[in-house]
Amino acid sequence: MNALFVEGDSWLHRLSPRAKLLALMAISILLFLSRSPWVLSGAVAAGATVYLQLGMPFGKAIGRLRSVLLTIAIVALLSFAVNSAEDALVALLRLTALTLFAAAVTATTGVGDFIDEITLAARPLETLHILQAADIGLAVGLVIRFVPEILNRYAAIREAHKARGLPLRPLTLAVPLIILTLKDADNIAAAIDARGFRRQGMHGRTKNSSI
Amino acid sequence: MTTRDLVLISLFAAIIVALGLLPPITLGFIPVPITAQSLGVMMAGAVLGAKRGTIAVLLVLLLAAIGLPVLSGGRGGLAVFAAPTTGYLIGWVFAAFTTGFLAERLVSHEQPGLVQGVSFFIAALIGGVVVLYAFGITYLALVTGIPISKAFLGSLAFIPGDVVKSFVAALVGRAVMAGYPLLPVRA
Repeated sequence: MNALFVEGDSWLHRLSPRAKLLALMAISILLFLSRSPWVLSGAVAAGATVYLQLGMPFGKAIGRLRSVLLTIAIVALLSFAVNSAEDALVALLRLTALTLFAAAVTATTGVGDFIDEITLAARPLETLHILQAADIGLAVGLVIRFVPEILNRYAAIREAHKARGLPLRPLTLAVPLIILTLKDADNIAAAIDARGFRRQGMHGRTKNSSI
Repeated sequence: MTTRDLVLISLFAAIIVALGLLPPITLGFIPVPITAQSLGVMMAGAVLGAKRGTIAVLLVLLLAAIGLPVLSGGRGGLAVFAAPTTGYLIGWVFAAFTTGFLAERLVSHEQPGLVQGVSFFIAALIGGVVVLYAFGITYLALVTGIPISKAFLGSLAFIPGDVVKSFVAALVGRAVMAGYPLLPVRA
């Protein structure tokens, strides 16, 4: 699974994740407060400039956003049919601008940087004993680690169905997949505990050690 | 949270991600192709229970937000949350919670299989269809100014597919409970 981060050295890449997320939040609020097509068109132009200047080829840059932009277009059409042309235009411009700014942040912020930022932000929750901040990074790592294995297991279950001449039904494919995957949980949990990855206050120590 | 719970949550989140990589299925009598990923959301609640199922879904949304292409069709990144259909993503969280909450309370090991299946179906239907669409439609109306009644009509075409999914989720929930029971949730 490849992240949507794009390597580069633009000013946006060098900005801290926190600054980018806060700016995105501020931009979102401003976008939803404005109803002027002029202001929103300006926002779309600004967003497009920022996003397209990052160095990605145009086709690839827009291709990433294809399904989001398509959804926005369909909804704008629905809005035009049901409300007024102005409402449709405002919705179209506002959401498109938001999409472009958001895509720019995603393309210039690495997965690791995001996780560091979230772990930092979750520290207050740790003092409230709601969760351990470092568990978030651990959980993300586990998911990334196991998606390929689950896909392999699914392929094996499909093969087994075909070998037995069974029709491929969601039920008979999903149940073994889930049961077999969840049965691994105990072994994986034991491995994590054996390596002390979740000991209170000791996460920093094991951060650099490899599994 | 025990390490085992953390791992169960992470593994189920990985299952939801894997389901997103499967191509949409077209059933003859339903106009819109159905994606398997929202089935995973209902199953999260039915299999793991309310708390763990909800956290699994939140984990998937987090993965999407930080720039991994985990949503069906290889979508990911913050741009996905700018779409007007974000209400359905928010709704996933509450759908998993509702399905899990109801499953924990309606289903027990002493019930015959059919009763368990029906209970799971009710849980999946209320969570995965009623609650999910409530969030999806409301968000759509709020963000675009389309009146709720019209937004509801626009979403109507997708509901039959999700009802079918609730049915599948119920069967899966019952079968998994027979093979590897994680409900009722032990403290």
